[in-house]
Amino acid sequence: MSLLAGQILNGIATGMLYALMGLGLSLITGILNIPNFAHGALFAVGAYLLVTLVGAIGNFWIGLVVAPLGVALLGLLIEYAGIRRLYAAGHDYQLLFTFGLSLILAEGIILIWGPVGISHLPPAILRGGMDLGFTFYPKYRLFVMVVAGLLVAATWLFLEKTRYGAIMRAGIENKEMVSLLGIDIHRLFTAAFALGAYLAGIAGALTAPIRGLSPGMGVDMLGIAFVVVALGGLGNLLGAIAAGLLIGVAQAVVAAYWTEASTVVIYAVMAAVLLVRPQGLFGIR
Amino acid sequence: MSKLERRDILKIGALAATGLAFPAIVRAQSKEIVILGLWDQTGAFADVGPLNDRGMRMALEERDMKVLGRPIRYVTRDGATQAGEGARFIVGPWSSGVALAVSEVAKRKKVVHLFSGGTEDISGSRCHRYSFQWAASPYTAAKTVVDNFMKANPKAKRWHLLVADYAFGWSVEKYVKEVGKTHGIEFVGADRHPLGEREFSNYVQKAAANKPDVVAMINFGGDAVAGAREIFNFGLTPKLPLIMSWSSGVEELVQLAPEIRDNLWVGTNFYYTADTPVAKSFVKSYQAKFKLPPGYAPSAAYSMTRMLLAGFDKAKSDDVQAVVKALEGLEMNDIVGPMRVDGATHQTLRPYFFLRCKPKAAMKHELDFADVVATGDAPLPKEYAACKDIGSF
Repeated sequence: MSLLAGQILNGIATGMLYALMGLGLSLITGILNIPNFAHGALFAVGAYLLVTLVGAIGNFWIGLVVAPLGVALLGLLIEYAGIRRLYAAGHDYQLLFTFGLSLILAEGIILIWGPVGISHLPPAILRGGMDLGFTFYPKYRLFVMVVAGLLVAATWLFLEKTRYGAIMRAGIENKEMVSLLGIDIHRLFTAAFALGAYLAGIAGALTAPIRGLSPGMGVDMLGIAFVVVALGGLGNLLGAIAAGLLIGVAQAVVAAYWTEASTVVIYAVMAAVLLVRPQGLFGIR
Repeated sequence: MSKLERRDILKIGALAATGLAFPAIVRAQSKEIVILGLWDQTGAFADVGPLNDRGMRMALEERDMKVLGRPIRYVTRDGATQAGEGARFIVGPWSSGVALAVSEVAKRKKVVHLFSGGTEDISGSRCHRYSFQWAASPYTAAKTVVDNFMKANPKAKRWHLLVADYAFGWSVEKYVKEVGKTHGIEFVGADRHPLGEREFSNYVQKAAANKPDVVAMINFGGDAVAGAREIFNFGLTPKLPLIMSWSSGVEELVQLAPEIRDNLWVGTNFYYTADTPVAKSFVKSYQAKFKLPPGYAPSAAYSMTRMLLAGFDKAKSDDVQAVVKALEGLEMNDIVGPMRVDGATHQTLRPYFFLRCKPKAAMKHELDFADVVATGDAPLPKEYAACKDIGSF
């Protein structure tokens, strides 16, 4: 029983990270109509920036704040200097652009940080674990669970309760109408991409001490992020959160009883849900 | 602007997964000897392929890209792509699963194939005249690791295993359990994980629940690194010892912080402080070029290539069957020390290394990861040998 409880805790921690990834991707895909293949690479850049910053200034907390902002800035540049120029060229070109970008970013990581992976320990205060009664659990994972949970909640509140969030949601529903109402749609696109990149960047930064860093780390995450978007329903933010948690917990619980299947369960859950609800958990299209 | 549908995303994902196709290799000119290095550029070992390539290049360059007085043309291709036209000598790939398929092709097309990896089938149940195994037999590895670990930790009788779920993991697991019997080891758990697993928290919690004396991992590369990191994060190491039974050595150890390496025991096919003349000169020139000392991957490619070239020298010919005959029974004093290719199975008989990692305070420099505690070269006993008859050409 305590094993199952521990596994569910693991599932929630990883599920929160999946939700952050899925939320960002869902936002970008929903508003810009582009499946952002560079989303995994942005996740990796977030992790590498964190480790570099912590190495340079010796402070994890500053690194955790600044690194995702760096990724958001990168996202802003990608949209402003790249994707924006391709709106006229059509959908396929934007898709190829993000795909190419993912390769460039991964190779860029190899050029700057080398092909061999890196370990990064959590800050001293979050090292080691604590006894929760039913299981011994690493402090850093509990920290990730809380921070990721707060970020997911903050993003959701921003999108649901603020004026700008309402514009973004409107952008997902109907871009033509939004631009007819006198809103600068291009600024909206840039902001959405930057916000999505920020969420990928902070997911990467938070993951660094857990999974370590390697140039291919983004590829592993990209597939999962797409599953979260498909499962949650395209452009559906609540769906992305629920799907992230569902996959994380399913993966952890299955691993408790049938370890060989712990990866395939991600895709099995997706297939099962899509068979019953082709539009995703909460999706409308 | 048209709306993107969920179905489109699924289609695009499938398209991305199929990857890119590469053109077939250009046919060789008759004077050249074409040697193909099949090194992974995609998939789970994409990070290893470039390292293999480095080692192989160095072995060819130290001979000025020549053998039998003729120029060598070195062609390298991804392990997952179609390759073959023109090349009659293949080294690689790194993945055991793919290598078994390549070995089948080598048999059918009658080309020489050198491989290093953890599947025992190439020199076992699927042995034939054209494929050769450079890595130690999984039995040799298991015997070296278990015997020497128990010598240092005689009370650690409760073992929990974490095994990569493919050909290599199964082979080593089988022999760790066999050798374990002779020490009265109780295997309190043995979980298999998919290749490329990055989320080890679930496995570590299960391992901890079994209250083992030691956790032994039989996995490789990124899997082993992710596993070791999580076992540390959950507070199992350094209280409990952790064994990596079939490690790449340097490339894995450098990815782990010194704190994570505390009480870590490592079995490997090569470690850079190996006290042999060939290793010393190879490590020196490799390190001068690439800073980090070579681990198992570049070293295996280097040594396999030297083995192949020694086969040409001995055969005095580039005829495939003559080279095969020359390789059978070939003896060399190479990077790992004395090695001999068993003609009956095509298994290389050679020492396997067992290391103990140093605590941070004992490290003399940042690459001073471990001491070689022991080496072992016990060959696979006859009763386990699955290669009964290697057959004819």
